[in-house]
Amino acid sequence: MVVYSFYIFDRHTECIYSKSWLPPAHDPTGAPNSVTAARPSSSDDAKLIFGTVFSLRNMVRKLGGDDDAFVSYRTAQYKLHFYETASNLRLVMLTDTATLSMRNVLHQIYINLWVEYVVKNPLSPVEHKGGAGVRNELFELGLDQFIRGLM
Amino acid sequence: MASSKASRLGEETRMDKVNAELVVLTYGTIVAQLCKDFDSDYVEVNKQLDKMGYNIGLRLIEDYLAKSNTVRRCSNFRETAEMIAKVGFKIFLNITPTITNWTSDGKQFSLVFDENPFADFVELPDDGRAQDELWYSNILCGVLRGALEMVQMQVEAHFISDVLRGNDTTEMRISLIRYIDDELPPEDD
Amino acid sequence: MSYYFAIIGTQDNPLFEYEFGTSKQGGDGQPRFAEQARHLNQFVLHSSLDIVEEVQWTNGQLYLKVIDKFFTNYISCFMTAGNVKFLLLHQPTATAGGGGGGAAAASTRNSTSVGANPTSPQTEEAIKNFFNEVYENYVKAIMSPFYKVNMEIRSPVFRQRVTAAGRKYL
Repeated sequence: MVVYSFYIFDRHTECIYSKSWLPPAHDPTGAPNSVTAARPSSSDDAKLIFGTVFSLRNMVRKLGGDDDAFVSYRTAQYKLHFYETASNLRLVMLTDTATLSMRNVLHQIYINLWVEYVVKNPLSPVEHKGGAGVRNELFELGLDQFIRGLM
Repeated sequence: MASSKASRLGEETRMDKVNAELVVLTYGTIVAQLCKDFDSDYVEVNKQLDKMGYNIGLRLIEDYLAKSNTVRRCSNFRETAEMIAKVGFKIFLNITPTITNWTSDGKQFSLVFDENPFADFVELPDDGRAQDELWYSNILCGVLRGALEMVQMQVEAHFISDVLRGNDTTEMRISLIRYIDDELPPEDD
Repeated sequence: MSYYFAIIGTQDNPLFEYEFGTSKQGGDGQPRFAEQARHLNQFVLHSSLDIVEEVQWTNGQLYLKVIDKFFTNYISCFMTAGNVKFLLLHQPTATAGGGGGGAAAASTRNSTSVGANPTSPQTEEAIKNFFNEVYENYVKAIMSPFYKVNMEIRSPVFRQRVTAAGRKYL
């Protein structure tokens, strides 16, 4: 399995963390390599992804009731996994299409990395405006190791 | 049914232990220092404790969610109360306050603390005012307010009696003000 | 038997004082100090602080037993690790202290009663128990976050507990 990228959105809908494990030239979510330069920037990517998962989540809740949760969707190019905590923190991961459910993986990232290294860091702010406090060494290192361990 | 499930969850969640005296002394020092800093303006001390608690609550809820492994949201405020008393207080303070005095609309309840680990050995200053003005454990109100705000509930919490003041019980009143809606992404221009 | 108990801080400053009488052998718990002697007790107690300082290094115990005697006043000392001294002045009542003159029945009863003989092992043991209980409560009292080192102990709860300990052992 291959993990392409990972995003965290806070309860204010802001993207507070994003990371890509792709070599810049190869991009599964975008068009062929020749038009890479014309692709929207990564911050636009994050906005698009958030818009998508937010609408899908609301739609799922309308159809399946408040307890229903949107877990993932798949396109021809990639699979998107979604995990939302009760505190409205949303974790999104993009992988290749063959990957099985990553819900557990996202849950582990929340418990073992987010809570341990970001929330419990007394010096990190409570609100991570512009990603403040998220990009600390322990979290970054832990996440990278964890994801590379999966691949 | 839901109640016994909550108790079990609280029992099963194992937490690291910390020496009780250390907690008493740490919290006591904070309160005593605040009293000193604000020249025994206990109304202000209550306010500061609440504010500190609020900031703790904002973070603590994440730890609670991670530790308690709760999968879904509480379906109503009664269930929330159960989870606060039997899971939250159990895992963080190893106590289980009693839930009582519900209003008929199910939006207000009391937590009665049979024991309060913060208040062991404590005797309020005998300046004649502390007994009437200081809510020694007011930090707990703030913690609940902060924690519940993160899970979309705006609540108001305050103590209405405290054994330290000579009352028979220690009771905290919690009222649900509203459920907070999800924030929407800003419109793109 | 009358008792005067005081806690002395690290600066030789009094933190707490309490006067009481024996509750054993039908005692009513009231002190029977002569009116002139009452203020003297404080001096007697404080004057023995010098001896405390000598005795404290002689053994590793907290309880130093009877360390000083001033006429019929006996001073027992218990020293906490934090250099706070608990001092107990005990004064056998005049009739019991007279010894030979009393009836035979009374003297046998008195000789076994706590306090009739201030240096007897029973008395030492009773005072030790009293000190230990006070010490336990003292630790709780100073754990209160509003208490500062060498501050007078004004807690009514602590006073109650000292009273209770006095009634129980002395």
